[in-house]
Amino acid sequence: MRNEKWREETGLRAAEKARLPSDFIDVEHGLVDRKIFTDEAIYKDELKRIFGRAWNFMCHESQLPEVGSFFMNYIGEDQVIAVRDREGVIQVLINTCPHRGNTVCRAEQGKTRSFMCAYHGWNFDLNGDLIGVPGLDEFYRGGLKREDWGISKAAKVQSYKGFVFATFDPQSPDLDDYLGWVGKLGLDLMGTDRELVAVPGVQKNRIRCNWKLAVDNLFDWYHPKISHASAIRSGFFDEKLLYPADQMVMLGEYGHAVSGPKITMAEEEALAALSDSERKAVFDSLPGQSWRFTESAAETLGPVGIKSRGHPNIFPNLWVSTGGTQLCLRVPRGPAVTELWWFTFVDKNAPEEQKRKVVRMATHFFGPAGLLEQDDGENWNHSTRTCRETMTSRRRPLNFAMGKGQDMVEVDPSGQSRVETVINEHAQLWLYRSWAEWMEAEDWPALIANHAAEPRGRI
Amino acid sequence: MRIASESNAGTRNPDGLPESIDAKMRLQYEVEQFLYEEAALLDERRFSEWLDFLTDDIHYWMPIRRTTTAKDTENEFTEIGQMAFFDDDKELLTARVRKMAVGYAWSEDPPSRTRHFVTNVRPIAMHGDDVTVEANFHLYRTRLESEEDGWRGRRRDVLRRVSSQFRLAKRHIYLEQTVLLSPNLSNIF
Repeated sequence: MRNEKWREETGLRAAEKARLPSDFIDVEHGLVDRKIFTDEAIYKDELKRIFGRAWNFMCHESQLPEVGSFFMNYIGEDQVIAVRDREGVIQVLINTCPHRGNTVCRAEQGKTRSFMCAYHGWNFDLNGDLIGVPGLDEFYRGGLKREDWGISKAAKVQSYKGFVFATFDPQSPDLDDYLGWVGKLGLDLMGTDRELVAVPGVQKNRIRCNWKLAVDNLFDWYHPKISHASAIRSGFFDEKLLYPADQMVMLGEYGHAVSGPKITMAEEEALAALSDSERKAVFDSLPGQSWRFTESAAETLGPVGIKSRGHPNIFPNLWVSTGGTQLCLRVPRGPAVTELWWFTFVDKNAPEEQKRKVVRMATHFFGPAGLLEQDDGENWNHSTRTCRETMTSRRRPLNFAMGKGQDMVEVDPSGQSRVETVINEHAQLWLYRSWAEWMEAEDWPALIANHAAEPRGRI
Repeated sequence: MRIASESNAGTRNPDGLPESIDAKMRLQYEVEQFLYEEAALLDERRFSEWLDFLTDDIHYWMPIRRTTTAKDTENEFTEIGQMAFFDDDKELLTARVRKMAVGYAWSEDPPSRTRHFVTNVRPIAMHGDDVTVEANFHLYRTRLESEEDGWRGRRRDVLRRVSSQFRLAKRHIYLEQTVLLSPNLSNIF
């Protein structure tokens, strides 16, 4: 009896193994197999094929103000240290000593002269060079070349307007090409023409869910009316703000997307009818948003981007949130555990009162105690848990078909393309379609050759 | 320890705390009873009554804690005005309570089962009507079938005497965790 069970189980596992990642995503019908949210082997593959190749957000340059300033982050589950070296260059070091593998840094942020391993005292310069080995002459007796045993580093580190990213894959395109116009627009929706600085304090907490469910939620303007009903009913949020019918979606190569409300024609007309000072007052009433009423913003964001009030995701896991005042990383910590890391930004030159408003808004909306966010985690937790249940996971894929086949991509003369529609799931399905492309590609050249172009026409 | 005598019962030490043992015991008793009663209200989910225990100018704040090296511990907690987990005034706390009462507050429906333990209570200063109190706490929560969360830490409260009763004028909550291992903070500390 037991043997037969075992045969059945391993047989099924072998059959699942034979499936390609794209077999889990039915783009035509908008269906996603539940297995991708729970399977240990798929998760391990994601760490290599997605996080191991992608440009991962590390921190903002303002978090590394001086030589020796460092901030600890992750690429997949690999802990890395973003640090400003003696030349002023930001390095991303993998937090493991090449001698016995111990970590060389145990504080999550701070300032240091070097990174000394607490095991045997190998000491590394801020750029990763091995500069000190106890007993180098006495014990190694010439048998260890220091230059061969520096700390391992990310393959490339690049910044986009102060936002620092790193990749482990030397074959990856440069950050600019990786982001494309949609990824860049996503970051520019933070008001990057200003002098942005990170507010001290990154909220971090752990949710019992698969990281992708947390990512697809950021595009989701269907859930607020129900998930966040209590925040609306208690008068803390305006229903119109959380559940706007007029939506705009921008889909970019490699999985980047922006999805969410747009400034409607009626709103545009109402704004146009105002005097300059009245219009400025409207934007000033939204914390951290007054920059959007500037000519440089219109130029940076473009004619389509300027109308977006949506949520960008920089693939794989960086959400530009809270009207562009926050970034939230969805850090994978196992198939069913995700950490949310919230970074908050203010314009260094804004009046103190404006900065204070941004910080208070960020604290009250999001983070584990946020009046919005506290009701999200349990949903993702339960979604993840039920995907683990063998019978349901095999039989019923999840439905991501809202709006499928019913909308058109329009291309602006500027080249910016978008879908203008009602609430939909185009960006979520785009995320999973891109996920399959990343998972199926053997390397960056294959991904470059085989990823879907920005869609055109009916979607 | 010096034995208090009748004659110095009314004197104060530099922290403004009474010196006589009788007065100290009375203060300790009053403070503890207030904190225990408050904790009971929270565990019984009598949140609107809990709001009446607060002054109108309450500051309810939980900074973010960070893992730092030993020589950098002055940067362990974020400061007021920087990012925090809670940075609430009475209006926001009232909104939190209202949120739980209006229905559809999924993180608290079904409700969490909580137990507040308040220990190591130490009045550390008294100025005018305000008594500053440090205490350790353990907030245990279980939800649904089998979910469990727990938070331990230190609270620095200011209790204010308002018409012969204490009211909470300040609650600053210092957790031990840096990465919170809980999916949310939907409860009151």
